[in-house]
Amino acid sequence: MTVGRLRRLGAAALVLLTTSYASGQQPSGAPIKIGAVLSLTGAGAGLGGPERNGILLAEKRINERGGIKGRPLKVIIEDDGSKPDIAKSKAEALIHGEKVVALLGPSLTASTGAVAGVTNSIKMPQLCMTGLGPAIESNYKSLFHMLPPQQLNARAMMEYIAKALKAKKLGVLHDSGYGQLVMTNIQSVHKEYGVEIVAAEKFEVAATDVSAQAAKVRAAQPDVVGVIATSPVPFRNARQVRITQPIVSAVGSSSYEYVKGMGEFADEIVFAEFIVAEDPLPHQKEFVEYFQKEKGTLPKTYDAAGWDAMHVLAQALDKAGPDAGGEAIAAAIRAPYRGVIAQYDFAAADMTGIGLESYTYSKLVKGRFTRLPFKAGK
Amino acid sequence: MTGGLLLQSILTGLTNGFVYGLVGLGLAAIFRGTRIVNAMQGDFSLIGGIAAVLLLEKLQWPLAAAMAAAVLLGALAGWLVELILVRPLRKRGGTEDSYLLLTLGIAFAVSALVLYFVGRDSHALPGIGGEGIIVVGDAAIRVHSVWLIAIGLAVMLLLRLFFTRTTVGLSMMAAAIDAEGAATTGIDVALMRTLTFVLGGLVGALAGVLVGPLVTVHYEMGLLLTLKGFAAAILGGLSNPMGAIVGGITLGLVESIAIVTVSSGYKDVIAMTILIIIMIVMPQGLLGRKLRRGG
Amino acid sequence: MTVKRAALIAIAVVLWACLPWLAPRYLIDLMVFAGIYTIAGLGVAFLLGQCGIVTLAQSVFYGIGAYSVAYFCAQKGLPSPVAVIAGVALSAVIATAVGWPVLRLSGYFLALATLALAIIGHVLFLEWDWLTGGTLGIGGIPHIDLFGLVLNSPQRYYLFVWPIAVALLWLHHNLVHSRNGLALRAMRDAPEAALVLAVDTHKLKVQMFVLSAMLGSLAGSLFAHYVTFVSVDSFAIDRAISFLLLAVLGGVYTVWGCVIGALFITIMPQWLSKLGDIHAFVFAAALIATVILLPEGFGGALQKWWRARATGRRTQS
Repeated sequence: MTVGRLRRLGAAALVLLTTSYASGQQPSGAPIKIGAVLSLTGAGAGLGGPERNGILLAEKRINERGGIKGRPLKVIIEDDGSKPDIAKSKAEALIHGEKVVALLGPSLTASTGAVAGVTNSIKMPQLCMTGLGPAIESNYKSLFHMLPPQQLNARAMMEYIAKALKAKKLGVLHDSGYGQLVMTNIQSVHKEYGVEIVAAEKFEVAATDVSAQAAKVRAAQPDVVGVIATSPVPFRNARQVRITQPIVSAVGSSSYEYVKGMGEFADEIVFAEFIVAEDPLPHQKEFVEYFQKEKGTLPKTYDAAGWDAMHVLAQALDKAGPDAGGEAIAAAIRAPYRGVIAQYDFAAADMTGIGLESYTYSKLVKGRFTRLPFKAGK
Repeated sequence: MTGGLLLQSILTGLTNGFVYGLVGLGLAAIFRGTRIVNAMQGDFSLIGGIAAVLLLEKLQWPLAAAMAAAVLLGALAGWLVELILVRPLRKRGGTEDSYLLLTLGIAFAVSALVLYFVGRDSHALPGIGGEGIIVVGDAAIRVHSVWLIAIGLAVMLLLRLFFTRTTVGLSMMAAAIDAEGAATTGIDVALMRTLTFVLGGLVGALAGVLVGPLVTVHYEMGLLLTLKGFAAAILGGLSNPMGAIVGGITLGLVESIAIVTVSSGYKDVIAMTILIIIMIVMPQGLLGRKLRRGG
Repeated sequence: MTVKRAALIAIAVVLWACLPWLAPRYLIDLMVFAGIYTIAGLGVAFLLGQCGIVTLAQSVFYGIGAYSVAYFCAQKGLPSPVAVIAGVALSAVIATAVGWPVLRLSGYFLALATLALAIIGHVLFLEWDWLTGGTLGIGGIPHIDLFGLVLNSPQRYYLFVWPIAVALLWLHHNLVHSRNGLALRAMRDAPEAALVLAVDTHKLKVQMFVLSAMLGSLAGSLFAHYVTFVSVDSFAIDRAISFLLLAVLGGVYTVWGCVIGALFITIMPQWLSKLGDIHAFVFAAALIATVILLPEGFGGALQKWWRARATGRRTQS
């Protein structure tokens, strides 16, 4: 970590300490409207649902503590049905109809690409729940990512595969959506880790049975198997065709719902992710406890992403002033931030600044997530 | 490619094929009794699957009782759909397209209701025989899949007997082929049409409780199942009761063999191309009869 | 009567032209989509209405049109008309090549074959990510530049897209009432008689399929230029289903039915989404009610009402 980075971190901490949104006063002024476009139905619903939880919880928390400069936050959430064109229309409606000051979401990379064109043209800050997408996004100055680029997710998996498991041969079973995005990046970084890909089999997002693909991976005799999907089906099928090798997976596959769907096969699966609510890190405790108190369940990464996005925005609104306009708010966001998920730096080139050291590794042991001591990074 | 891999792909293809076939069976049954292509057939499976999940999880019913109740609920749903929605449209002069649109609308509605009342989560349904597997050579198949195949075959045979040997079944066919003629021989045509939907709902929900343990039950599963079931039923020929199963197996096997021999990414391209070719080469379907083109 | 009719049309045109200044921006945004869907849906509607062909393959041609713009304009920097024409031409070629064998099928076989085409198209859009950007998609597609006027707002695009849609509807109206239109209806209603009259029904069907595909491709190109971003999620089976939905809902025997159908499927869900989580069910219920109450679609029902009114007035006078 460089001195410059440390100094910026210090500055961020100072801002956090001196912000006024912890005043405890009941907010009374006109509400500050924030728009959110999330995938609440369709293929991305597994992401959008938790994100909504996190956003609403953060809204409640921030308003309990006095809102922003005496004004409450009001989030208006719209569902894009996991479609980029609908996401764009919903964003138009929120921006020009509801006159929101900033936009949260969408949940999927494609929808983000469609909405970012709109927010960029009017310089409205947008905190999306995805990693860096197509190259064009690097030109957008008001777009920020709450999750790491897929290349970092790929590296985080490879770190564990190469360093903790010392594997040489990797077989991958992935879906054609999220899994494909991570897989493309595994293809581009695996050589750096000295790992050979012996099989890469894909299946459509809603596949009913992927035993044939799993069997093909097994037949290639890998040392370790990567499963990247937004469904429990491939995990079950992999074990059912008697893949006994360790399974390593990515953050998008880590959800309590999928674990439930895996049944007795939710065992010996490692995830490169960000939060193990059963055993939270010190800076995650407050969020986990509040979530558990309000919801009665434990949060995962996407709940935390919604929570973090709201807090990043709240801090920027507090610093720049709620009526400062999009450009000023975006400028206030462009700084380091200590989130529940990760140490962000929104001034970084990838508009998120998450490093490998923010990853947490968890392992499913008989259906329960347990934190692993392994740390990625240099 | 090893023999074990080929065997595995055949077992997988059979499992998937029977899933498609079971949905297709219900579709074909409703078509035979009413000449309606039911775009909500997969949603009968959703109703059955989600009912079984709720009975098991919320009311802690035993598996067999929950499954039986779920299947009966599917039959009830079929009865209601015909009585409340299909019959009024028939009275107002529904065309082939409008029935397709109506059932598509019902499919959206069922899916939306499940989303609203049960939520967007996927639910795992325990299989018959738990998660146990049977090892065949170097390949494996789930115990539940074997049950699914056996039940699928039994349903197919029972439907065949029902439509060719029982008075009710024959009356249903007569009502569909020539409603006026059937009415003159004393057949209650309206009742026969309702019974057809009851049968379709029953078979659909049965498919749901059998498919649930394989795919997990969620609110969007209906339309996906309908599409594959439609392909299976049409491919096999709507006029033959065994058609849907044969069509389903063909589709399932082509898909899984394409995965192991060519590429998993292009499996649908291969399967769908073969599907089109089969239809052009065999215009009566795999098991169809002459003079009943396209069903 | 003609004066009255001309006045009605004039009022409609003025209302239409004033809408961008009267209605909120997001409504105009939806109107743009309605215009685009009208064009694609028109292709589906006349195939069904004039030839009795149920097609679920329109999403493929819609995708080809969109990707053509994404590839030629955003990646290669070529002018927009080149990209749009390239997409339409490519769609025509593919529709001919695929339509020739497939249109020998009929009834549900044909419907299934078009469904299979839609699935194949979707998989290829996903797999050929060097061309289509796959799941990530392609962004940064330029807006249309009309002699210096950049169509970068919903209002401007609305004023651009609807004249195109109306012109196509008018062309379609003329086609239906031409000799070819008669041949088409003969083919639909009495295929044997049409054969006797030496109408090459297969060739005619392929021609209509190609025409329909060209409309789909044009709509896709307009979509890409408007959203300035394309990804494979916009060209899946549900898009094909929604095109069929709008055609049947609007009524396939009237020319302007698909305008109403397109307005229904774009504005209705957005309007209902204010109801919260139950909105999806309300939309489905509205759809079911419409089908049961108006089995010939909006267009058919309106036409019936119009005729009943006209005869009513005639008997009175």
